[in-house]
Amino acid sequence: MIFEWEDIKIEVDEDGFMQEPDQWNERVALALASTEGVSELTDEHWKLVNYLREYYQKFGIAPMIRKLCKETGFPLKKVYELFPSGPAKGACKVAGLAKPTGCV
Amino acid sequence: MTNKKRSHQAEVLIEGMAEKLNRQIVGSLVACVHCGNCTRSCHYVLTNPDDPTFAPAYKADRIRKIFKRHFDWTGRVFPWWVGAKSIFTVEELEELKDIVFGKCTNCRRCSINCPMGVDYATFNRMMRGLLVSVGIMPEGVAVVSKDQWEIGNQMGVLPEDYIDTIEWMSEEMQSELDDPTAVIPIDKMDADIVYTINPREVKYDPRTISDAGKIFHLAGENWTMPSEGWDMTNFGLFSGDDALGGAVAGRVYEKAKELRAKKIVISECGHGYRSTRCEGPNWAGMDVEIPMESSVITMLRYVREGRIKVDKTRNTKSYTFHDSCNNARSCGLFEEPRELLNLVVTDFREMYPNRSENYCCTGGGGAMSMSEYTPLRLKSAKIKADQLRETGAEVVVTSCHNCVDGLTDLIKHYKLGMEVTQLVNMESEVNKGSGFNVSIPRRSIALSSNDFK
Repeated sequence: MIFEWEDIKIEVDEDGFMQEPDQWNERVALALASTEGVSELTDEHWKLVNYLREYYQKFGIAPMIRKLCKETGFPLKKVYELFPSGPAKGACKVAGLAKPTGCV
Repeated sequence: MTNKKRSHQAEVLIEGMAEKLNRQIVGSLVACVHCGNCTRSCHYVLTNPDDPTFAPAYKADRIRKIFKRHFDWTGRVFPWWVGAKSIFTVEELEELKDIVFGKCTNCRRCSINCPMGVDYATFNRMMRGLLVSVGIMPEGVAVVSKDQWEIGNQMGVLPEDYIDTIEWMSEEMQSELDDPTAVIPIDKMDADIVYTINPREVKYDPRTISDAGKIFHLAGENWTMPSEGWDMTNFGLFSGDDALGGAVAGRVYEKAKELRAKKIVISECGHGYRSTRCEGPNWAGMDVEIPMESSVITMLRYVREGRIKVDKTRNTKSYTFHDSCNNARSCGLFEEPRELLNLVVTDFREMYPNRSENYCCTGGGGAMSMSEYTPLRLKSAKIKADQLRETGAEVVVTSCHNCVDGLTDLIKHYKLGMEVTQLVNMESEVNKGSGFNVSIPRRSIALSSNDFK
């Protein structure tokens, strides 16, 4: 599927997650965020998104929420404030990760 | 007869079918009279009324034809008369895959409404298992099954990460309750309750772990969480792979036995409850003597016995309740969650149909992990969306993690603007307003809605 937002055109899966992580950039993140009820990406959003990307590039999977909170210093509640649809569907999608597997 | 050459996969599938044909399945395969009652039960048909290929009887016939051709004497003698037809090519197997994984969530609504007692969902699951046995399945099912086989839980959570997260939740509990004794005991021997969870809780949203922990702690429960065998979910139910089902459920039983626990409590998860409590002992070939219950029943008992006190007047939103198919239709768990919900909210609005007749969240049967079918899933969710909308409720409560995700997806798709929550979701912020308030002597905490908005 092709997802379009302003001048952005990217390939996504049926759940709206990126198919080609290499195409990710900051404007793509903004485009994806618009589908998850986040209209603006603040420094705190970027801190979280950048951590997710680094971890994903290193290990090829999404980190545990425990690691995410530990490394970014955000309490759990904050993660849900930043991404109302949660770390799996919201934050991972914006960071350009593939859809997490399992019951999510 | 045809000279078409049968693929090796098709051959293995037909051989495997012979092993799977028990009395319940054969009874269901021979009993259909094509009355069409099932079409009024299936949410796929109700939202795609012009497409007969969604009818449970039609989908069932794809499997029935193979059975008749190879295992029923009528089909061997008069194949043309009884519609018997074998299966040959890989393309045909792929087509079958799209039916049994993509056009049915194994919700069993047609099964309970069939006047002939045909349990289509059960042999739909059988066919899933046969396809899996020859390597044909949606990618998501393969990935999750592999993790559950190899790492012991469906999200590949490593043992040290699990323990680290549980300890983290212990710390959160302690600081929220301002009580150093509020800890989550791990591997405590002889506990009255061993609490098992869905890996989603530990990997992405551990709030339900600390919420449950608070309830156990405040109720003064002698409980523990196991260091292994803690995943009560089971992809064997979805993939039809009984061996996986037995391996996963067996780990839970073995660990509980090793800890000499008196009861296994299963967190709010429809398929996990059905797999662990109802199907698992058969898959695992084990006699499980430890009683098992849903955490909904545990929580209800605490309130009934006065071990936790609730004040429902604190909660002013409007609520409805969605029944998980596996809980309600397959395990008869539908009155207890309503009783518990009515103890903590003042404005409860029933949805229709309800209880064992409720519609699937449309994400059941593992559908949430099969992205290739998402557009069809969401399209077919319209009947569920209409049902939710008609309640006029602000919040839909359910007792299943998978239903939370299925409902959240369709609520977003159909712009219903409803929140989704589970009964366990409790938060310690009394002043959060939206919460069910639970008060105990000198302390109070709020049972509140999840932050799904």
